[in-house]
Amino acid sequence: MNGDHCVEGGRCAEVLERLEAFLDGELAADEVGDLESHLAECYPCTDRATFEEQLRAIVARECVEHAPEALVTRIRDHLADASDEAST
Amino acid sequence: MSSSNEVTSNRRTLTDTERRERFEAEALPHLDRLYSAALRYTRNPTDAEDLVQEAVTKAYRSFHQYEPGTNLRAWLYRVLHTTYLSMYRKRQRRPQESLQEEIDEFSLYDEASRVGGSAERIVLASLSSDEVKQALADLPESFRVAVYLADVEGFAYKEIAEIMDTPVGTVMSRLHRGRRALQKALATYARSRGLLDPGDDDIPPNPETEVRP
Repeated sequence: MNGDHCVEGGRCAEVLERLEAFLDGELAADEVGDLESHLAECYPCTDRATFEEQLRAIVARECVEHAPEALVTRIRDHLADASDEAST
Repeated sequence: MSSSNEVTSNRRTLTDTERRERFEAEALPHLDRLYSAALRYTRNPTDAEDLVQEAVTKAYRSFHQYEPGTNLRAWLYRVLHTTYLSMYRKRQRRPQESLQEEIDEFSLYDEASRVGGSAERIVLASLSSDEVKQALADLPESFRVAVYLADVEGFAYKEIAEIMDTPVGTVMSRLHRGRRALQKALATYARSRGLLDPGDDDIPPNPETEVRP
């Protein structure tokens, strides 16, 4: 990631270094505040952060599936059998 | 007044039935997600079903080791992960996986910004479900799993470290590089539709560093 086009120079680069951890919810509270206050006043960084967030949301949405019914049934039957064995 | 032995045996009899009911009530609601995860691991529906069934069976057998009140979801994924390793890793015997160095700096946002207009939004809106799935599936295994656990399941670094049995620093590096590589793959799809500038830095995959099964 580069922050070449950012108006504040070095500050953006430093913020973007921590953007991934910020979006992952892995920054300490004081760092979160610091980053949020920068994002509030820097459009380029906010735009980039929004893009990264949207992309993650797309990945999350597209990669969730339903377990096939047959599998669910098989697992339930299997558990019932295993439970019977254990209690006899 | 009952002896302590009686109490213990009564409790154990109850536990057998209760244990299954509890397992069904608490673990089975995660089946859809476990199957989604298994598909990312195996990249094949038949193997994914086998993996989930085996992992759930194992989890049930060791459910007594699970401490109530701790993170059941993370524990189930840990079981899924170790089950995957025992079922498929040995069979495949792949060399140490890596990504090309230049992947570190790739940014889909930067690529789209270069085009101007609202290219960023247009690129995101253009991605099909199959392309997103394929781009993730094409990542080397450890990167793919880390990205899946973070971006789809929303696990914290520490939880992913426990699930994958690896240091947190390794998780962070896999996530960073995995996401960059995912963006690079997605950029290829967007570029094929003319939504991004033709890349002069598109280096064809190097068979020595890019491992595919």
